[in-house]
Amino acid sequence: MMLEFKQLKKSYGGRTVVDISNLQIFAGETIGLVGNNGAGKTTMFRMLLDLIRPDSGEILSKGVNVANTSDWKNYTASYLDEGFLIDYLTPEEYFIFIGSLNNLSIADVNEYLKQYEEFFNGEILSRGKYIRDFSKGNQNKVGIAAALMQKPELLVLDEPFANLDPTTQIRLKSHIKALKYSHKLTTLISSHDLNHVTDVCDRIILLEKGIVIKDFRTDENSLKELEAYFSE
Amino acid sequence: MLSTFLSHQWKDFWRSRNKAGSIAAQILLGFFMLYFLILAIGLGFGMSFIIEKAFPGKNVIETFNGFILYYFLFDLAIRTQMQELPTLSIIPYLHLKINKKTIVNFLNIKSLFSFFNLLPLFIFIPFSIIKIGTTYGALTGLMYIVAILSLTVFNNYLVLYLKRKSINNIAYFGFIIGFVAVFALLDYYQIVSVRAASNAVFVAVANYPYLGLVFTAAAIAIFYINSTYLRSNLYTEELSTKDDKKVSTDYAFLNRFGKVGELAALELKLILRHKRSRGSILMGFAFLAYGFLFYKEPMIAKNQFGMMLFAAIFMTGISVITYGQFMFGWQSTHFDGLLVNKIDFKNFIKAKFLLFTISCTIITLLASFYGFMSYKLLLLHLAAYLYNIGFATVIVLYFATMNYKRLDITKSASFNWQGVGATQWILGFPLLLIPFVIYLPFGFMNKPYWGLIALSIFGLITLLMRNYWINLLVKRFEKQRYKIAEGFRE
Repeated sequence: MMLEFKQLKKSYGGRTVVDISNLQIFAGETIGLVGNNGAGKTTMFRMLLDLIRPDSGEILSKGVNVANTSDWKNYTASYLDEGFLIDYLTPEEYFIFIGSLNNLSIADVNEYLKQYEEFFNGEILSRGKYIRDFSKGNQNKVGIAAALMQKPELLVLDEPFANLDPTTQIRLKSHIKALKYSHKLTTLISSHDLNHVTDVCDRIILLEKGIVIKDFRTDENSLKELEAYFSE
Repeated sequence: MLSTFLSHQWKDFWRSRNKAGSIAAQILLGFFMLYFLILAIGLGFGMSFIIEKAFPGKNVIETFNGFILYYFLFDLAIRTQMQELPTLSIIPYLHLKINKKTIVNFLNIKSLFSFFNLLPLFIFIPFSIIKIGTTYGALTGLMYIVAILSLTVFNNYLVLYLKRKSINNIAYFGFIIGFVAVFALLDYYQIVSVRAASNAVFVAVANYPYLGLVFTAAAIAIFYINSTYLRSNLYTEELSTKDDKKVSTDYAFLNRFGKVGELAALELKLILRHKRSRGSILMGFAFLAYGFLFYKEPMIAKNQFGMMLFAAIFMTGISVITYGQFMFGWQSTHFDGLLVNKIDFKNFIKAKFLLFTISCTIITLLASFYGFMSYKLLLLHLAAYLYNIGFATVIVLYFATMNYKRLDITKSASFNWQGVGATQWILGFPLLLIPFVIYLPFGFMNKPYWGLIALSIFGLITLLMRNYWINLLVKRFEKQRYKIAEGFRE
């Protein structure tokens, strides 16, 4: 088992944001987290990444509470928003910095970035700009590529398809699918785009006001099911 | 239309998110301004009296005349540092059906609402009426006022124009300040006299009052140059940022410190690539002159180190104080990223210590030119330096774990109260008081050198305990990080 959420609760000003009694995620699963704004997706991710302290309950990553040790950092990579980027660096500097945290040499990083030339579409590297000067879509690309560079076993992405151009969306989807089989990558993705989620994920978790409403394996009917739910 | 713009600005000021939290800071800033205004008014009305007292035997009007251009020269230097470009506020209007001319007018008018435009009026106009008007007649007095007003407007638009022309170009600011400094020095050593030139100009105005209109012509000219430039370059992209090629850099000297060095290099880049942090650093260098105000010959002769301790701590520890007070807020935009990545918090704290130690060492070495005044000052600085790297760093980093305010570091540092909270106010007390408390008993016993030795030993011991402090701070950081991260996200 990769992740286990136990009696997890978080509320702000009396309003419950996350309330998950028991949820298990297994290695190699690609999980799509869907729900309207305020459903608690990002808060859940933040607690998973030990950025927010839960009011009660715990999240076990490979059986260890994420709030107690930072062992999970050794196999977890994530990109939630621009707050994860060090925006006054050039993309190259950022990749090298993230690489160095994972003991990758500059040569390793450059080697790794070569396979992303297509993904970057010539817009990221050696443009002579700081990350803060890039468009949101391109910032997203930097964040996602930096997360993937860490060769994680667990990947957490918040709204990865938003702001990306169609070509990159398709490339990202096939890349995640490929990694699932080649590296047994476990992925958590939140998205408002039901098409993408049903396409790339093999299990979908639907949140509403912090509570898991639905949890099912994707099949050909999933998209319709979700659309029916959200159009109510 | 102009009044609508101004009312929007008014709302912007009162409804802005940072302001609400720091009303206290605003009020304090208000008091500062009021204080300066009262000083200016006092100076304005008491000018004759003050000149007679300060320069006995000199002609009052001559001294006053000599002072005018001198003032405006310094005004220019200060404005290049402090006056803000009112540019970004127009972005939401550019795509609307509003004439470019109106927008330019708005920018021009808005720039007049500046503290720098108020000050000279209070300083110079009273004297122009009271003394000049009564001596040379009403017309001359009026022309003096016209000249003063024109010079104020001239400086205002000149600085805005130059700033717009050379956005983000630090070298150029250095040039202007250097230019003023050279004039001041030449005047000081009586090679070229700014005062004599200023006097000559205003004597001419007194003789031929209408000459005052030359200043007005100059002010109008620069106003038109500025407006024309604005109108033909009304693209926020061109007005607010300069698009030069950014390159990746590597600080080789930090590499020997391993992971800690990498984090320090990261922070060094942060400091050099943001306006606010760069401003703090420049301010730090400016404070090197602090000693000239505080170190007095009699004090040095009598070994009254207690009186000079404050300045010494302040100068040698300026980086700890100005940069440390907002810690970890400098990194507030990407704090989540730092927490999520594989960064050992111990290294994170160590990197801060490393940066502080390096910067304190550099500034203390620079401050050693005070050794020319007296070797005793070097001993004083050494004690202050050891205290700063030993204990002041610890205080600052401890307080940093209680600072939850997001810091906007893209704005300039001067008169910027964004991100100022209780932490910054309280912080100063222990930091500046502890060295006094250590020194004072020895000062009373008339053993000043023992006092310095005691302070040095205290600094050394705390420095040797650094690993202990690091562990303490890491524990504290572990506990506080959720709160800090939450505050920074807002």
